[in-house]
Amino acid sequence: MAGYDIITLEENCTGCLRCQLACSYLYTGLFNPSAARIQVRFSGTGCAIDFTDECNHCGVCADSCFYDALKKVKREDDE
Amino acid sequence: MQGGFAGRILHVDLSRRKVGTWPLASNLAESFIGGLGLSFRLAHDYITPGTDPLAPENPVVIGAGPLVGTDLPSTSRIYAVTKLPTSGTIGWCGAGGVTFGCLFKNAGYDHLIIEGRADRPVYLNIVDDRVEILDAQKLWGKGVSETCETLWDEVSGPAGVLAIGPAGENRVSFSLAYIDRSATMGRGGFGAVLGAKNLKAIMVRGTKGVGVADRKTYKRLKTDFLQTIQSYPYLKEWQDMGMLKAFPMVPPETYKKIKKRRLACISCPVGCKDVVEIADGPHKGLVAYSSSAINLLTPLMYGFKDYRDAVKLIAELDEYGMDMFEFFGVAALAAKLGEHGSIQGINIALDDLNAMMEWAEKISFRKGLGDVMADGFSGMINAYGDAAKTYAPALVKNMHPYTGPGSALPWDLFGTMELGQILDLRGPHVGSGGSPTYFAKRPLEVFPKHLKRMGVPEAAISRILPESDESKQLNVGILLKYSHQWFSILGSLGVCARGQINRFYNAGLCADFYKAVTGIPTDLDELSLRADRVWNLYKLLNVREGVDRSRESIPDQWVQAPGFKEYVSETPISRDEILRMIKDYYREQGWDFETGYPSPETLSRLGLESLG
Repeated sequence: MAGYDIITLEENCTGCLRCQLACSYLYTGLFNPSAARIQVRFSGTGCAIDFTDECNHCGVCADSCFYDALKKVKREDDE
Repeated sequence: MQGGFAGRILHVDLSRRKVGTWPLASNLAESFIGGLGLSFRLAHDYITPGTDPLAPENPVVIGAGPLVGTDLPSTSRIYAVTKLPTSGTIGWCGAGGVTFGCLFKNAGYDHLIIEGRADRPVYLNIVDDRVEILDAQKLWGKGVSETCETLWDEVSGPAGVLAIGPAGENRVSFSLAYIDRSATMGRGGFGAVLGAKNLKAIMVRGTKGVGVADRKTYKRLKTDFLQTIQSYPYLKEWQDMGMLKAFPMVPPETYKKIKKRRLACISCPVGCKDVVEIADGPHKGLVAYSSSAINLLTPLMYGFKDYRDAVKLIAELDEYGMDMFEFFGVAALAAKLGEHGSIQGINIALDDLNAMMEWAEKISFRKGLGDVMADGFSGMINAYGDAAKTYAPALVKNMHPYTGPGSALPWDLFGTMELGQILDLRGPHVGSGGSPTYFAKRPLEVFPKHLKRMGVPEAAISRILPESDESKQLNVGILLKYSHQWFSILGSLGVCARGQINRFYNAGLCADFYKAVTGIPTDLDELSLRADRVWNLYKLLNVREGVDRSRESIPDQWVQAPGFKEYVSETPISRDEILRMIKDYYREQGWDFETGYPSPETLSRLGLESLG
């Protein structure tokens, strides 16, 4: 288990899906939003960001976010 | 194919209700880059010269370039090529792909060719290899947003939707298509082309993934590139304000009152699309989605006093699926004809919400005079003859340019977008081809940097920029040639051409990204040559249709006071000066000014002899 908590700030999300692209590319070798371990869903004006059970909190999604919708925080027990 | 390309073309025949796929020929991909360029190439095979734009025989070719679906910034563009009803020319229609482009590539396709006409309303449902032509009776007559929401409600997970509204269904000449209800596509009647096919929407989902040929190089190039973007000092401001940063049509505090969320096309770090919600007044609670808040506020330029009324009207136009500039232009013409007695018993108040809502509905559903107005300026001129010609604004290819005397946007400097209104075969549209003359006047000192970035050769840069302090004239004709080349690169790759994004890209980097993603050997010179080939094929497609230089007439209003002004000196521009720019453009392209055709030497250089 990698050492980050991923903080989601859904109000900042624009739906650019860079997080899903980055995650899928890292773990499948292809840019495939459907295979990402993070899933962004828009409904009306709202947005929900969820993680699948496979997510290992590596933080690549947060690294790819341009909008401060995802932040990674180092877990204390990993320091 | 190693990466970038999905490697397949999807073909749908609506008349026969048949669907097929075949491999994308790698030599074609290499020769025409992809996306926009390959769409022109496929259109050359599928469009029969002389076809009526609204006939079943007029095909629609949609393409997503090889970078679409990757995580390179703002690589989500999709393009359609078809014969457009307003101009009667073969034109390109582009849109920020929102989710559509990426999901289309993930479904395993680079291009979609649509032919024929369904015998009743249908929509396409694409889920990877499963492609269905489904009944759309329940959607017919619905607005764009409602159509998208209805389709999204039927599926789980993200789906890209391209849809038309009632204006497209009823073949309004200025109807558009919309992507995910927020991006517009196809000024000149693309909505009508789809409506004439009884095709209400295309929904796409995909799970196949998009690969990269050379991952190591890709990573290196991308890392440096992202750092450049992240360190851009105005990035946050663009993200916060969107296009209002460039066009402050309302004060920031007003925007903040209605700003609900900013939206981005997949992979875009700027996110120029808007969701707004009216916070108070009679339209309280109205939610509107748009390519940009400035679009929603456009009626303020036509005299609306209340920004909330402006949003209400544009939200309605977007539901009907029609172009706001043409709508206002045609309405203004009808109003003048009413004032001068050519049309009896009408009163069109351009600054009144209720009146304009009524006319939007009449046009969309072709009721009464709305039936004539729905055919645009040419419909009005056919119906009211010389009177309509007298009061019509400056027209180019039967459309209302965005800028210039009597146009919506208060911009009177003559740059590549302005000359491009005449010389782009499709006619007026927003876009400079990525050149630095787009709207905000930039000092000449920054031009060399931007021109180099666009891949303009050194020798051409010296011919574009003023020769001396005395002359102070920019050679817009030569600049436009290279703007079209730059636009061909961006469009064929799938990169957004908007100024706030293309400023980060340069042609050499585009060549490097293309090579890394696709594995196709490419350098700057080769990519520039292919881009030239793309734009020349666009020209050839229209030459084959008989589109000649007579379609490049200069509107009188452009050269009469107040008229346009030269970009640098800001002195009034003359017809002769514009004509000289056109000649310079033709010479730089290697096209014959008299016949309008690419010269044999040009076709030979580009390897286009067999298509000429």
